[in-house]
Amino acid sequence: MSDRIDPLGEAGLAFYSKVSASISHEIKNSLAVLNESAGYLEDVTLMAKKGMNVNMERLESLAGTMLKQVQRSNAIVNNMNRLAHSLDDPASQIDLNPLLELMISLSERTTVTRGFKVSAASSDAAVTITTHPFFLENLIWLILDFAMTVTGDAKTIAMLPLKTESGVAINFTGLEKLTKRALYDFQTEPVRRILSILNGTLQADEDKGIITLNLPEKTNKQGGLS
Amino acid sequence: MRLLLVDDEEEFVATLAERLSLRNIAADWVTSAEKAEKMIATKHYDLVLLDVKMPQVGGRELKKIIEKKLPGIKTIYLTGHGSEEDYQAGSAEAEYYLMKPININDLIAKINDALGK
Repeated sequence: MSDRIDPLGEAGLAFYSKVSASISHEIKNSLAVLNESAGYLEDVTLMAKKGMNVNMERLESLAGTMLKQVQRSNAIVNNMNRLAHSLDDPASQIDLNPLLELMISLSERTTVTRGFKVSAASSDAAVTITTHPFFLENLIWLILDFAMTVTGDAKTIAMLPLKTESGVAINFTGLEKLTKRALYDFQTEPVRRILSILNGTLQADEDKGIITLNLPEKTNKQGGLS
Repeated sequence: MRLLLVDDEEEFVATLAERLSLRNIAADWVTSAEKAEKMIATKHYDLVLLDVKMPQVGGRELKKIIEKKLPGIKTIYLTGHGSEEDYQAGSAEAEYYLMKPININDLIAKINDALGK
């Protein structure tokens, strides 16, 4: 039996680990705000017991802060939950609009720390596809990571989901330094295997600075995962 | 003593500064490396508390910038979560490397220790 780690499994674990690290960091930050807010309440309670004046407006604003942080943590955990459940079914019907929003949230810490802004142009109509959600999320993560190396000085990346004749596409725009050679080099074994599972292809438009991920409307579940 | 707190989590850093001031510790706060550089240019600080992971310029890079302007300034790093590698490297550079959330009494003890008080 070979001891070699399967590149596809390794890519999936790396993706999941990075998202987990980012999410735990975000939750810790939120907990830190709650901790200081609770600590401040404790401080002013002690002061009030000693007969000192308490700024009620500050307390009101603190209550708002704490509620906001609970909502923030809840949203972070919900996103993590969605990612975790994306392994449940290898052929799920997905609307790309909320999926891209999820990917922006999951990658936000990484992209913002590196000084990038990632957005998604959502269309009014659903852009649906039946595919393996985890592998699609993993691939979008990898493309975003690569895209950050070929953007222009504005450091902005926009994702646009589209319906096409043969299925759907996601355009990654703002990639002024994109070359066909760079996109070819990006397609290492795990990327190629994920593309194979999804029956997808990648195209580079150097002049417009766009990577297009083409996907069929329905991935053959058996063929894709065998 | 005067401290400068630098963290991109505004509500965290503002409330921490407020709690320190209730304990008679003067602390200014800012939410980015760029703003920290401006503060350093106008005021003297004895210690900086730096968030390691911030957009654009993180705490470890900011420490090098600050030290050029205020040689010998003491530093405490703060982070939400980091890798073991980050922790080892950061611990070697700063007086302390603390994980959020923090206990304010522990923080004050470490500030005093770093400043030899």
